[in-house]
Amino acid sequence: MTRRWLPVAVASAARRMSRDRAALTVAFGFYAVVATVISTLWRTAANAHGGSIGGYSGAQLTWYLYFSEAAVTALNPRQIELTGDDIASGAVAVDLLRPASVLGVRVATELGRSLPRLAGCTAIGVALAVLTGGPVPAAAGLLLALPSLVLAVACNLVAQHAFAGAAFWIRDARSTWFLYQKLVFLLGAMLLPLQLLPGWLHTLAAWLPFVAMAYAPARLASGHVEAQLLALQGFWFLVLVTAAVAVFSAGERRLQVVGG
Amino acid sequence: MTAVLATFRAAVLEARANRRAFWTQLAAMALNDVVWVIFWSLFFAKVGVVRGWDRSRVLLLLAILTTGGGVVLGLLSNARRIGQLATDGGIDAALALPVRPLAYLLVRRVEAVNFGDGLFGLGLFVIACHPTPGRALVYLLGSAAGAVVLASFLVLVGSITFFTRRGEAGDLGFQAIILLASYPVDIFSGATKVLLYTAIPAAFVAAVPARLVDHLDLSGVATLAGVAALFATGAATVFSLGLRRYTSSSLWTRA
Repeated sequence: MTRRWLPVAVASAARRMSRDRAALTVAFGFYAVVATVISTLWRTAANAHGGSIGGYSGAQLTWYLYFSEAAVTALNPRQIELTGDDIASGAVAVDLLRPASVLGVRVATELGRSLPRLAGCTAIGVALAVLTGGPVPAAAGLLLALPSLVLAVACNLVAQHAFAGAAFWIRDARSTWFLYQKLVFLLGAMLLPLQLLPGWLHTLAAWLPFVAMAYAPARLASGHVEAQLLALQGFWFLVLVTAAVAVFSAGERRLQVVGG
Repeated sequence: MTAVLATFRAAVLEARANRRAFWTQLAAMALNDVVWVIFWSLFFAKVGVVRGWDRSRVLLLLAILTTGGGVVLGLLSNARRIGQLATDGGIDAALALPVRPLAYLLVRRVEAVNFGDGLFGLGLFVIACHPTPGRALVYLLGSAAGAVVLASFLVLVGSITFFTRRGEAGDLGFQAIILLASYPVDIFSGATKVLLYTAIPAAFVAAVPARLVDHLDLSGVATLAGVAALFATGAATVFSLGLRRYTSSSLWTRA
């Protein structure tokens, strides 16, 4: 299999996911509830404190949180656990028989599965944000936020595979998904914008790849037209791909030795 | 009753069989909960007080939610799987035994990872919620009542699967009640707030018990106990009615 099969893997996974109405219903329903609750919390807090917090108005926080939640909810939260289980159980050995990169096919398939969820969550998020927070703060920001969401999902997926690759060595990566998810929640600024973190934590988070997974699209959607965020996401995507390839290459060699 | 207790004991022993994994999962969940403490600390450091809720009140809410949630999702783990068991034919195993199916199913599976929630809740109450003998008693009883409401709601929405043959309601109900119970109920208003006291009784899982720990009043206690009894009766009734529609399968190992 050559690289031209990667778009095929994305498209076929997206098509399969689009037909799974039960899974999409749960994902969209969950997203609507969770994003509405957290945005209500911050909007209420902003309105109770003179209309803005940390430079964000209530409306901007609403748009921010609907987009940060969409970027994260579009993914299977337990992807690390699933991939780790496949590695630990040896099921990944079947993937090695294919004439294609194990990591590439897995990431492409998961990206395809995420896209219908991302599209649905974004559409619902825009509707709910208009309804509860008011009109979009900046149309240009919203336009930039759309490719940024796809990049956020791609960065997150690749990073999750790099994390899950630890199972080649430790055999049980199941518990790590809790911790990874919380890193995205806080350091990725999913629950609150970077500007609301204490100074030292803000600086730390800004230097970590998690900002590419939630903060970037949310910041753009909240009316801050900062195109450099897309470049930052591109940079982190390349770094994370390099890391994941290194982990899987080393892990696959080890798996071959163990499996004989 | 003896059979149900024996089943429960076996489930606990099964969960503890791999001790290393047991303690690792427990610690991971407790660490996971610490992140919420960090989030709420950051939030209230920035905004002070929101509609009467401050950091200490929310930490009390979190302590009660994780204690009650730890009991339900840890000790009565199948409460959230009723819908899945109904569609997969996983209730067959319970029907063949001389025990009440719902009681057996609820105690059949213990989820070690959620013990971490329970221990975290207990620890958080001791460290951050100004424990006195009186407050501790209300906290324990309130957490227990909240756990009854949570377990009953999960069984109720899971049992809808018997009628619809689809599990979305159960999945969504689980996500919604856990999420809504973990936020201060007063940030919501209008229809949403009414919803939290009725159809999705998230307020009774943690916010109402938390209020009773701070301001104990008999009418509040009676309301909480009444709601817990009402939901428990409703869950048992809907499960029994749904069970009449259950169609068997050849799977025996899912319960």
